Amino acid sequence: MKLTGRARLMVLFAVPVALMSVVRLWSGEDALTSSDTIGASLRLSVPILLAGMAGLWAERCGVLNIGIEGMMIFGTWFGGWGAWQFGPWVGLAFAVVGGMLGGLIHAVATVRFNVDQIISGVVLNLLAFFGVRYMSDLAFVGQPGGGVSQSPPQTSAIPRFDIPVLSGGEVFGWKSPNILLNLEERGWFFLSDLAGILHGLTHNLSWGTVIGVAAVPATFWILWRTRIGLRLRSSGESPVAAETLGVNVIRLRYLGLLVSGGLAGYAGGILAIVASSYYRQGQTAGRGYIGLATMIFGNWRPVGVLGGASLFGYAEGVKLVANDAISTLFLFVALAAVLLVVAAVVNRNTTRGIVTTFVAVVAAYAYLAIDDVPESLTQSLPYFATLVVLATASQRLRPPAMAGIPYRRGESH
Amino acid sequence: MRCGCVALCRGGVTVPQRGWVWQYLSMPDSAANGSASANGTAPAVELHNISKGFPGVVANRDISMTVERGTIHAIVGENGAGKSTLMKTLYGLHQPDSGTIAVNGTEVEFGSPSDAIDSGIGMVHQHFMLADNLTVLENIILGAEPATGGVIDSREAARQITELARSLGVEIDVNSPVAELGVGQRQRVEILKVLYRGAKTLILDEPTAVLVPQEVDELFENLRRLVDAGTTVLFISHKLDEVLAVSNRITVIRQGTTVGTVTPAEVTRRQLAEMMVGSDLPQPEPRTSEVSDRVRLEVKNLSVSRPGRRDLVHDVSFAIHSGEILGVAGVEGNGQFELCSALLGREHSNGTVAIDGKDVSHASVRDRKNAGIAYVPFDRQREGLMLTSSLWENNLLGQEEKFTKYGFVNVAAARAACREVISRFGVLTPNEDVPAFALSGGNQQKLVVGRTMSMNPAVLLAAHPTRGIDVGAQAAVWEEIRTARDAGLAVLLVSADLEELLGLSDRVIVMFEGSVVAELSPRDATPELLGSYMTGAKVAAR
Ligand SMILES: Nc1ncnc2c1ncn2[C@@H]1O[C@H](COP(=O)(O)OP(=O)(O)OP(=O)(O)O)[C@@H](O)[C@H]1O
Ligand SMILES: [Mg+2]
Repeated sequence: MKLTGRARLMVLFAVPVALMSVVRLWSGEDALTSSDTIGASLRLSVPILLAGMAGLWAERCGVLNIGIEGMMIFGTWFGGWGAWQFGPWVGLAFAVVGGMLGGLIHAVATVRFNVDQIISGVVLNLLAFFGVRYMSDLAFVGQPGGGVSQSPPQTSAIPRFDIPVLSGGEVFGWKSPNILLNLEERGWFFLSDLAGILHGLTHNLSWGTVIGVAAVPATFWILWRTRIGLRLRSSGESPVAAETLGVNVIRLRYLGLLVSGGLAGYAGGILAIVASSYYRQGQTAGRGYIGLATMIFGNWRPVGVLGGASLFGYAEGVKLVANDAISTLFLFVALAAVLLVVAAVVNRNTTRGIVTTFVAVVAAYAYLAIDDVPESLTQSLPYFATLVVLATASQRLRPPAMAGIPYRRGESH
Repeated sequence: MRCGCVALCRGGVTVPQRGWVWQYLSMPDSAANGSASANGTAPAVELHNISKGFPGVVANRDISMTVERGTIHAIVGENGAGKSTLMKTLYGLHQPDSGTIAVNGTEVEFGSPSDAIDSGIGMVHQHFMLADNLTVLENIILGAEPATGGVIDSREAARQITELARSLGVEIDVNSPVAELGVGQRQRVEILKVLYRGAKTLILDEPTAVLVPQEVDELFENLRRLVDAGTTVLFISHKLDEVLAVSNRITVIRQGTTVGTVTPAEVTRRQLAEMMVGSDLPQPEPRTSEVSDRVRLEVKNLSVSRPGRRDLVHDVSFAIHSGEILGVAGVEGNGQFELCSALLGREHSNGTVAIDGKDVSHASVRDRKNAGIAYVPFDRQREGLMLTSSLWENNLLGQEEKFTKYGFVNVAAARAACREVISRFGVLTPNEDVPAFALSGGNQQKLVVGRTMSMNPAVLLAAHPTRGIDVGAQAAVWEEIRTARDAGLAVLLVSADLEELLGLSDRVIVMFEGSVVAELSPRDATPELLGSYMTGAKVAAR
């Protein structure tokens, strides 16, 4: 049976939700689909999502970007400083500019001077790490609440809102009903879980988050529907062919890296302005690298990156809101893996069958035998999921063909 | 057929310059605008005293030539004579060391291909310039996208391309990724790419090497129509009959410099060849061979399937004996590539394959190779060479075991083996240390063929073995294959060149849509008969 397009997406969404519902009724643990968990997951997903998009833009134009972490650090610092000085919106704009600065450095190094792309990225990360410390020393030390490792707290925040009717938002002063919350509290099979998830996605939303998520459709539209997008992708797929057709590969690589840096900077801005109210050293906590993992998980496509970021964000969200619920997550993984085993047997895919059986057994063991799951184990779950994807779907992954290979003009053979 | 291009030029609105991003978003489709200021009588292209050198070689030496507007002007010459180098200079891919170029009477300097495109020049390159992961449509429109406000109008593009393809007698799925196409389809995409742009001056560097005669005819009918409407075509080919049939003028290049320009009426094929080589052509003796009873390659009921599609290879059976050449005729893309891949063990297939009586149906590529199978690939650059590695490393590929002792490569022996191939097959190169991309197309092909032949295989799968090789060297390669055949080699020869196919083969089969539709003796197989089998117009009972 082959499902196409929308129907397939529906199944991909509905089956896990139903499975979670089963887990909830079985174990009596509500947290997996509660709106609190989902709300936290969304907030935690967005920086990862944007880091993944930053990776996507860079590699689509043909340059590897290990420096996303560093660009995010610039984003947190400039965002934190700007928000403290001029308010949160200006802060976000500064974050983007800070990230673009990182993107520009990477572009000059790799595109102009053909520095090895990995080395340039690593150097950028180090530069950002030590650079912001130095700048903090100049800007924050001596200010009330500020120091070398953090900025003074911001006094205002980006506004938040609830969506009317669905989640009880206000329209012109009228308090609309909160249908989803109502449904969630009933505890019904499937429906309440669905409502919990949707409520989590529709209440107490920050505009900063909404703008971040909008990067997904925007990226898709620009890269796959516009002229400049096609040219940018062609620079990552075959710069030689592109150049013989009059496409200016060098410029497009600059552009791709500037957008990449801007997205990474925004991701940092979210961490310093939306997820908290001050800049703090180490705020990015390796999310730049996680973003790269979601990019691979998502097969270098925006919707796929969204899926990967949701996975990582959800794992973090569950841990944050309901640490005790983590063992039930293993039950969920075990059940899902059993379903995948069945699918693999039906499709006679041996590799996939073996991998998923292994996952099912490990997850079931973890659920039954381990009471107190060590944090390091739960944190590694999304990475594990990425590895499973790589092991089972690697043949269908299509990274841009020439990403990582320096391009010198007129070097066509 | 011109309508596609006319539609393209419609958007000739000028847009204020607001930085380059804006230019990309709203650039009027620039193709073919370049010659707007053309003055009535000036030649389309004039090259004056062009010289171009690479480290260790002078590729072009003081070349001058004039190409009149509205003509098909052929350029012929030996492998490595400097034809592609000259055309790349004209297309702005690199700059000449000295000399000047004039287009339509105005002197120009091309810093990059986009300058040449702006002057109305388009080029089909000798080696494919395609992005594998992009679709056919994306590859074709890239750089000349029909768009409104920067958003690509895919439906319009698909319509134009389909129409253009139909006028060429080509069927192509514009939405399939290029990665899935065979060499024939890729060649067609390259041709569509340049026709789509509607350039006023077309450079075609060996566009016909893998196309069968019918396809070549369709292409030239189209070019004729374009030429009648004022387009100029510069055309490189090693198929001299083709050159004599279609061109108005022929310029011969030898060792980097022009030796003369003639009209087809003035010369015979033989004279032309002698102008190229500078001496008498080697004339290989036609020989009859002794086909023995010993079966070397036996294929039974071989099929290659793809879920949800027609079989790519369908129930093919044949046997090739020791000392026999079995020719495979067919339009590229009718299962020849998949047949070879299946025989090599690169592609999953059903049916049985036996080499020298040993069943290898389930053996790996390596085991089959050790059983004596060798392969001259369809596309030398994709399947045959590491372009940035040296010639001796390329020559080592596939025979590492022979040159390895205690885990170390015997470099001296590997180099010597490469030098041996270079001299035996006449590869034109300063030495065996240059990277493969520095060889001319035909010389790359000679290296690949030479490497394969030097492995002394039992069974040879040869796909277009003389693709891009000049007439003189072609005769030498044929002679090599014949000699090996006489010594007991079994050959499966896939070729689009009917002269080669009928001249070499002991038997010929025709493939159409994955099946073998006919088996003929080369003595009975006229080009017309083969043609009707290849296009499916005629179906024979085997
Ligand atoms: N990028 C390069 N680097 C070094 N040498 C090169 C390069 N490109 C071409 N050459 C050399 O220049 C000479 C002319 O090559 P060119 O490709 O123009 O030949 P050609 O006439 O097109 O031959 P063919 O018929 O085989 O395609 C050859 O000796 C080749 O080795
Ligand atoms: Mg050439």
